Amino acid sequence: MNRAGLEEYGELAAEIKEVLIPAGALQQRVRELGQAISVDYAGRDPLLLGVLKGVVIFMADLLRAITIPLEVDFLAVSSYSSEARRKGLVRLEKDLGTNISGRHVLFVEDVIDTGLTLNYLLRSLWARQPASLEVCVLFNKPESRLIETPLKYKGFDLPDRFVVGYGLDYQEKYRNLPFVGVLKADVLKGHQR
Amino acid sequence: MSLSEHRHPKFAHSAEETFAQILDFYGIEWEYEPRTFPLEWDEHGTVLEAFAPDFYLPSQDLYIELTTLRPKLANYKNRRVRRMQELYPHIHIKLLKRREMRDLMVKYGLYDSANQIQGTGAQPKGEL
Repeated sequence: MNRAGLEEYGELAAEIKEVLIPAGALQQRVRELGQAISVDYAGRDPLLLGVLKGVVIFMADLLRAITIPLEVDFLAVSSYSSEARRKGLVRLEKDLGTNISGRHVLFVEDVIDTGLTLNYLLRSLWARQPASLEVCVLFNKPESRLIETPLKYKGFDLPDRFVVGYGLDYQEKYRNLPFVGVLKADVLKGHQR
Repeated sequence: MSLSEHRHPKFAHSAEETFAQILDFYGIEWEYEPRTFPLEWDEHGTVLEAFAPDFYLPSQDLYIELTTLRPKLANYKNRRVRRMQELYPHIHIKLLKRREMRDLMVKYGLYDSANQIQGTGAQPKGEL
């Protein structure tokens, strides 16, 4: 079981069972994705879109790995909270500030599991008539997929386990870990209300 | 179908109703137990065993079976899904295992529902 690199994270580290993807491997893969995007989108002035908040760390590193001119914008959507459920359908809590009509849009996601949120967002974005719309995801959990979506760029396939770090949270914690780790089972149990 | 637009189906388990509500939230059309697949027949062609997956997602042409049972007791359900895949290879079906269901509930902040999955009479409470 790999727990290398955990030492400096104190109380957060104590709640991690093991490191699944070390920080170095993440950085290397993000650089590779950035290089591929730089080649594929050269001369197309791409617009990278992300959904707050989980994508911010991946987006920040990916942007710096891309060597061509680009723009970036963010969305926020209601999560499946009791408040949102009362209002019915998922909805945008923060819309784009950019008109994407005719633009080459690359939708950047930190993790895709069921594909439910992604499906909703892609439907919403296609309605705005971009010239192209592709998906770049860092963490893919194919075993959890309910709604299939083509992924143009993919970082890692993750096993069916509850993971945190590098933007992925559990109850808003652990996003700041530079690696991806598996939470201890008793943390999940202990936090349930 | 959605819960808000159609009559409320009689769900066999509260987790199924929660799952339907999540699909509704994301605007995914679904049907509840729309089709039964015969799995075993006697020598006269009478159906001895059949299987009705919990959900069908028309946009994905995908059947979904949920399980909230502990792994040992879910084996029966697994066998039926495998048998269905053998007999109807053109039909797409996905079995959402107990852990996947629990993680789904945790992801959407449904801690009570997650606890119910852990705490059914079929399994020791608190076991993950």
